[in-house]
Amino acid sequence: MTSLATESLVFVYPDGTRALDGVSLQIGGGEAVGIIGQNGSGKSTLIRHFNGLLRATEGRVLLDGQNVNERHVAELARIVAVTFQNPDRQIFAGRIGSEVAFGPRNLGVRGTDLEQRVEEALKAVDLGPRGAANPYDLGFSQRKLLALASVIAMETPVVILDEPTTGQDARGLERVRSIVRRLVGAGRTVVVTSHDMRFVAETMERVVVLRDGQVILDGPPEEVFAADRWPLLGTTHVEAPWAAQEGARLGLGSTPTEASLFTALQAWGGQV
Amino acid sequence: MSETGGVPEIVPEFVLPPPTGAYRRLNPTTKLLIALAEALIAFGVRGWSGPVVVLAIVLASGARAGVGARLVPFLLATIPLVASILLVNTFLYPGATDRIFVLGPLAPTWTGLVFAGQATLRVIAFAMSAAVLGLTTGPDELVADLERRGMGRRTAFVLSATVRSVPRVLERVREITEAQRARGLDTEGRIWRRVRGLVPLAGPLLFGALTDVEEQTMALEARGFSAPARRAVIRTFPDSTPQRALRLLLAAGTPLVLLVSVIGMLGFLP
Amino acid sequence: MSLSLRSVTYRYAGSSRRVLRSLDLSIERGEVLGVVGANDAGKSTLCLVAAGLAPTTIGGRLDGEVAIDGAPSAGARPHELAQRCGVLFQNPVTQLSGTTATVWEEIAFGPRNLGLALEAIVERVAWALSLLNIDVLAPRDPARLSGGQAQLVALASVLALRPAYLVLDEPTSQLDPQGTQLAGEAFARLTRSGEVGILLVEHKTDLLERLADRVAVLAEGELVAVGPAAGVLADERLEAWGVDPPARVRLARAAERAGVQLPVSAA
Ligand SMILES: Nc1ncnc2c1ncn2[C@@H]1O[C@H](COP(=O)(O)OP(=O)(O)OP(=O)(O)O)[C@@H](O)[C@H]1O
Ligand SMILES: [Mg+2]
Repeated sequence: MTSLATESLVFVYPDGTRALDGVSLQIGGGEAVGIIGQNGSGKSTLIRHFNGLLRATEGRVLLDGQNVNERHVAELARIVAVTFQNPDRQIFAGRIGSEVAFGPRNLGVRGTDLEQRVEEALKAVDLGPRGAANPYDLGFSQRKLLALASVIAMETPVVILDEPTTGQDARGLERVRSIVRRLVGAGRTVVVTSHDMRFVAETMERVVVLRDGQVILDGPPEEVFAADRWPLLGTTHVEAPWAAQEGARLGLGSTPTEASLFTALQAWGGQV
Repeated sequence: MSETGGVPEIVPEFVLPPPTGAYRRLNPTTKLLIALAEALIAFGVRGWSGPVVVLAIVLASGARAGVGARLVPFLLATIPLVASILLVNTFLYPGATDRIFVLGPLAPTWTGLVFAGQATLRVIAFAMSAAVLGLTTGPDELVADLERRGMGRRTAFVLSATVRSVPRVLERVREITEAQRARGLDTEGRIWRRVRGLVPLAGPLLFGALTDVEEQTMALEARGFSAPARRAVIRTFPDSTPQRALRLLLAAGTPLVLLVSVIGMLGFLP
Repeated sequence: MSLSLRSVTYRYAGSSRRVLRSLDLSIERGEVLGVVGANDAGKSTLCLVAAGLAPTTIGGRLDGEVAIDGAPSAGARPHELAQRCGVLFQNPVTQLSGTTATVWEEIAFGPRNLGLALEAIVERVAWALSLLNIDVLAPRDPARLSGGQAQLVALASVLALRPAYLVLDEPTSQLDPQGTQLAGEAFARLTRSGEVGILLVEHKTDLLERLADRVAVLAEGELVAVGPAAGVLADERLEAWGVDPPARVRLARAAERAGVQLPVSAA
C-alpha cells in the first residue's frame, strides 16, 4: 500500500496563476479520498503533481515518504496512474484496444496477460465488445470511461481520477462507483475529484475541500457535509448533497448519503 | 494606423497584451511577408546559396525572438521527409554516374548527394521560417491585421490557419507526450530516449489532426464564422515607415531575385 | 414560435445506423425543454440536428424536417443557423476557436463574425460575462483555464450570439454546485422574457426538476416520453431508461418499498 503526501505545496503556472497555495496533505495507503471545491480551486493541478506531470514550485510531494522530484514521470507511472479531466487529452490511439494496452505494455506486460487486462478493463466500463472500434466513434461520456479503463488496466498501487463522473448517466455512475470500491477493496490508494456531491458522499471515505489552492476542510463525509460546515463550503461554491440538506432540515443529524438519510427516517418510525 | 498599435478605447485594455521583443513587435503582415520571401528564396534560388542564406537569416531571427529551443520539434518533424529525400536522391538520382562507391545494388552518386543536401536545406529552411512566424505571431493577430488591410476573411483565415497550426502542433505534441509518459513511456533524460519517444507520436499526431478538422469546422460554423459580414476591428498592430519600406522591398525584391536566378545570372554563386 | 423537429431520422455519414428515429419534438420560445437519456441514447446527436449542424456542416443523412420559427433549416447557410440557434458542445474545449488570446476576445468572436458594431460587441461580451459571473476570467488565456472555467467561457460565447434558441449539451457537467445553480438561473432568466427557447440536455434531474417546463426522454434514438417536467421525472420507467430520478423521487420510492411513511416535507 502506497501513501501520498504534500508538504506546503505551492504551484504557480508559467503565466503567474498561483493555483496551489500551500497544500499539506497526508493520504495513507489504501485510503479513498474525494477532492472537491469550486471551479479553478486547484483540484486538477494538485493531482497532476502525484505522477510528476507538474513539478512543485515550492514545497514537496512525497510517495511513500520519498520525494517524487528526482523521478521520471514514466517511473512514477508504475506506481501512480492518473486520468485526465478532458479525455481527449489522454486518448491518442486509433483503436480502443490499443489505447487500453498502451499503459500495461509500457510496464512490461505481454501476451495473454496483456489481453486479459485489456479485456477486463474494458468490461468494467461496459466497452467490452468495442475493442476494435475507433475511440473517436465513442460519445464523450464513453471516451471518459475509456480513459478510465486505460488507467485501471495498469493495476498501479495508486489510482487518481479527475472528475470521472462528468457526463455519466445512472449506469455510468454506478460503474465508476463500483470500480472505485473494488480498487479500495484491493488495497489501492484512490483519489477522486468530483463536483457530484452525492457520488463523493456515497463513494469516498474522506473528503478534502479546496478553495483558492488551499485546503479548508478535511474529514469523513458526515463531518464535512454536516450543517455547521455549510457556510464554509459555500465559500468554495460547494453545496452539501441533497440527502444531507434534507436530513438537516428534518433535524435528523448529519445524513450525507441517501442510505443514511433513509435509515435515520426509519429509526424515526415515520413520525417526524 | 498608429505607430504602436492598440485597441479602441471601449475595449478593455488587457485585450492587447504588450508585445515584447524586437522581432515579435513587428507587424504581423511584415512577419508574414518575411516568411514568404524566405520560403520563395529557399526554394527558388539554385545551388547552395539560397537555402544557406535563408537558413542563416531564419535562425538568427528565431534566436533574436527567443524561440530557438522551441524550433527543435519542427526540425524533428522534417526528419521523415528529409530522410526520404536523402535516400532517394543519393541512391537513385536519375542519370548520375559519379559513383561514391558500389556495394552490391547500392551505388550512391555525388550528384545525388549534392542535390539531396540542397533539397534538405531548403526543406529545413522552409520549416524553420514557418515555425518562427507561427511562434512569434499571436493566433488571431495575422487575420486581424490582414482583414484590416481589406483582405477577404476566407483568404485571411486560410493564411493564418497555416500559422496557427504551428503552436497547435506543439500543443498536441505536448498533450500526447504527457499522456504517454503518464502511462509509462519514458521520454525524459537522455537524448536517445527523447528521440525514441517521438516515434509513437507520429500516428496520433496525424490522426488527431484529421479528426480535429471536423470538430473545428463545426465549432467555427456554430459561431457564425462563415457570415459574409465585415468584422469589427478590435486590435491594430504596430507599424512604421521602415517596416512599410521593408515590405515594399520584399514584395518587389523577391520576385526580382527569383527572376535573376532563373535566367542564370546568379551563376557565380555556389 | 418554435424550433420543431418533424419525424426526424438521422444517420451519420458513412454509417447506416439510425441514431435518431422518427423524432417529433418542438421547443417553444419561453420554455426550457429538458432532455434526459442514457449515454449513447442520441442526445448529443439530437443537439447537432436541432441546431442544424448535422447535416449542414458534418453531413450524414437526415429524413424529416427541422424548422426554426417555420423556416426549414435544410438549405439554410451555416451562419444563418448560428444566428437562429446557438449550440454548446458537450466538450467545451472543442468549442473554443483556438484563435484568441483572451477570454474577452473569445466571447467577442461570435458577435464579430455576425458583423456587429464594436459598441454592440463590447456590450454583449459584458452582458455574457456578468450573466455567468465570470468577469474575472476576461483577461485570461482561454487555453489555460480549468475544465469548469472553460465550460463557462464556452457557454458565454454561445450566449453572446443571442440566438432565439439555445441547444445546450450538458452545460453544467463540469461546474461546481453553485456554478450549476447560477447557470440554471441564467437559463431561467433568458426564457422568462419569452424571447428565448432552450433545449437542455442534462443528467442532473434535480436541476431539471427546478428549471425545466417540459422534459423529454430519449432511449436508443427514440423519444419515449415527453411532457410536463414533474410528471416525466416521476415516471416509473425512468430508471429502466437509464436515468436517475430526482433525489426526492428516489427517496419516496425507497420509502414505499420499505413501507416507511415519510414526513410530509420529504415526500
Ligand atoms: N495551463 C494553465 N496555465 C495557467 N493557469 C492554469 C492552467 N491550468 C489551470 N490554470 C488555473 O489554475 C487554477 C486551478 O486550476 P485547476 O484546473 O487545478 O482547477 P480545478 O479545481 O481542477 O477546477 P475545475 O473544477 O474547473 O476542474 C485556475 O485558476 C485555473 O484557471
Ligand atoms: Mg479540474
